[in-house]
Parts: sequence; structure tokens; C-alpha cells
Amino acid sequence: MIYLDNAATTLHKPYTVSEAAQKAIRRMTTPGRGGHSASMLAAETAYRCRERAASLFGVNSPESIVLTFNATHALNIAIKSLAREGSRVLISGYEHNSVVRPLNTIGARVIVAVSELFEPEDAVRAFERRLGGAELVVINHTSNVFGYILPVERIAEMCKAARVPLIIDASQSAGVVDIDFERLGADFIAMPGHKGLYGPQGTGILIARGGKTLIEGGTGGNSQLPEMPDFLPDRLEAGTHNMPGIAGLEQGLKFVEKVGTKKILAHEKALVRQAADGLGQIAGIRLYKANNEENQTGVLSFNLRDLPSEQVAGALSERNIAVRAGLHCAPLAHRSVGTLSQGTVRMSVSVFNTKFEINRMLNHIEDISKKIK
Amino acid sequence: MVFYLIICRSLTYAQRTAKVLERAGISAIVMRPPVKIPEKGCVYCVKISEKRLREALIALNNAGMSHGKIYILYADGSGAEVKP
Repeated sequence: MIYLDNAATTLHKPYTVSEAAQKAIRRMTTPGRGGHSASMLAAETAYRCRERAASLFGVNSPESIVLTFNATHALNIAIKSLAREGSRVLISGYEHNSVVRPLNTIGARVIVAVSELFEPEDAVRAFERRLGGAELVVINHTSNVFGYILPVERIAEMCKAARVPLIIDASQSAGVVDIDFERLGADFIAMPGHKGLYGPQGTGILIARGGKTLIEGGTGGNSQLPEMPDFLPDRLEAGTHNMPGIAGLEQGLKFVEKVGTKKILAHEKALVRQAADGLGQIAGIRLYKANNEENQTGVLSFNLRDLPSEQVAGALSERNIAVRAGLHCAPLAHRSVGTLSQGTVRMSVSVFNTKFEINRMLNHIEDISKKIK
Repeated sequence: MVFYLIICRSLTYAQRTAKVLERAGISAIVMRPPVKIPEKGCVYCVKISEKRLREALIALNNAGMSHGKIYILYADGSGAEVKP
């Protein structure tokens, strides 16, 4: 299979990831549950994972790295820590349901800073116009549908100046675009472990300065108290850890650190450029591509004429090419761009994809475009 | 041998404490305190040599890290709180 759905989950991982996960199953229990070697080995592994994440994302203390089960879990903690019913929350027009749904559940007053796709200046202006009176800003670093890199640094500066708390959803940027938590001054940054960090599914990271608990329970510390500890990461990590996942994630982070985000992003951009150039030659293809490559990662959306995106993705799947169609759990992003009824076909690459694979995909799409009328 | 135990508020904090000490050239082991140490409720500590306590506290202070109670740990497993 040619796998081009890496924005959902990277399928191909460094071999060290599965090795570490297997070792964890055989030899580790969980951190903070006893002083025996199985628990202490887990503790050392989890701590290394925190240290690597702290180093990669410019975090001063490894304790600020909260290990979650995915980015949605992390975003729920962050959003429910800072927003309450009636809170005026400003978001971009490119947010995922993992932001929109918690805000809706809370009953927050959501205001969308509407801006044009791949126009960061427009996004800055939209946030400038709407920031007054906002009690919280939640912004996607990179759109999962279009690979659009939003100007989070500039929006973070605005939030800092206006003293508005900020949550960044780094689901698509972690491991690909440089992130510096302390410099951004965000209150929370949420990310999955299973996408650009090449960890196993069931892993995520919340970079935090504090926060309210989403669930409560055992933490392996302060056990005599009925309430959750007031310090990180224990406060936000109730229950047994996903140690196979964390051990794998630690290796994923090590891999990203070794290769470097700049190199990874350059590789992904080259593949997207190749795909866009090729798709541009096929009659009936509508591409959602940035004019300025700086504004896009390794995610590319397109449509073939007015065909339902699911039909095109289905045809590719029959040829053993995995892409994603539909709304990608981000109807707001589609509404912003005008693709809500058709959705888009989304191809998304990782560091393990090759030019050969992109060529194969292009050949098949050309063929599909001739066969499906 | 006699050791000192630095009690930490959490396992992760104990690990961070140990890292800071190791970077300062002080051998440090993260562990659960022995049963004779009167700390309750899943506590972790960092064990260091009796000769290195002063240096350790300076290193922690330089790193901006606080610490909990400090116990002296005798060879028979008993201990007593000390005020450095």
C-alpha cells in the first residue's frame, strides 16, 4: 500500500518505536507504582520521554510535559481548564472538532476569526479585529485539511499583549514545524504522539503551566490526600500510564530530534510540490495549494471536478493508495474554504514517503480521472 | 554507609532533582524511602552520599529547585530528619 494519510496517523514508524513498545510490554509496569525495577524502568522511560519533548518544544521543565492519550484528550484538558459556560472564545476558521466540540459542550460563546486560506496576514487582521473582549484564544498551528500554517507567533504576541490566555493545537505541526513553548508564551500546547512525532496510537502530549483535572484518580504520589496533587504532571495524569505508547513515543521523539524538523519539513514540502505540479497537469483537478510554500506543510487537499471526494478516495483505495476524503473532522475549515458539501481528497506525507510513491499516485489519479465521468 | 535522603513532592520532581545533581557530578538515586522513614503516601526521594549534601543543596538552589524534608539514613535502615 502507498500510505498518504499521515495527517491522521503516521503508519510507518522508525523500527525503534515498535521495539521500545514491545520492551515496555515485557518489562515495565507504570511510573510511581512501587519502587521495584519494573516500575522504576517505566519511570525512567517516561521521564526520558518528557525530557525529549521538553527539549524539542522549548519547555523549561520536563514536569510541564503531561502525557495524554491523544491530542483530543490534551485539548479537552486545556479547553476545560480555561473556558466555562458563556466564555467568549476566539478561534480560527480552521479548527478541528477536537476544539469545536468541547467548546460547544461547555456552552462557550465561540467567535470565529474568519480569514482566507493561505493568507496569514488576513488571519492576523481577523484576530486583531476580534481579540477585544475575548477571554480565550484557541488556534490551530496547522490546518489538518489544508496544511495551512497559521501565523501563531504573531497571534501569540497579540494574546500576550492583551493578556488573553492562548491554547495552541499543534496536532499537525508537532515534529514538522518548530515550536517554542516558552517563547510563544501559550498557556497550553496540545499535540498527538502518533502523527509527526512517530509514536504509537494512544499517545499525546499537553504542554501545560497548570490546569484543571479532567479525570481524577491514583497518581502514585500524595496518596493520603483525597484531592489530586496541585503540581504537574501528576495533577493531570490520573490512572495507569500507556507505557508501551510512551516508550514508543520516546523513540519517536528521538528520531525527530535526530533527523530534525527542518529536514523533515523540507522533505514533505518537496513531495507536496511534486504532487501539486503533477495534479496541476490533470484536467478537472482543483487544488488547494499555497502560493507561498512557507505557508503549507506536507498536507495537500484537492478535488476532481465535482465528484464526491469519497468517490475519488475510494477509487484510489481500490488501487491500494490510502488517502482521506470527506470533512476530516473539521467542518469549520471546509466551511471557511467553501468545500463543505464536497469535502476534499487529502493526501498527507511523512518523512518515509518517496517521490516514486507520489508518481504512482499521480498516474492513478490521471487514470481515474479518465475512467470516472 | 550513611546517606542522605531528599524527599520530593513527586516522582517526576525526584527524577528532575536527580538529573540536576548528576549534572553537578553528584551521584543520585531515585527511590522509595525505606519503611523506617516516617513519610506517608507514596513518596519518592533522592539518595545521595553523606559527603555531598552541602554541594547537592547548592546545586539545587542554583537550578532554582526546592526540596522537601531531608533525612539522614543509617546503615540499619533507620533515619532521622535533619535541618541543613
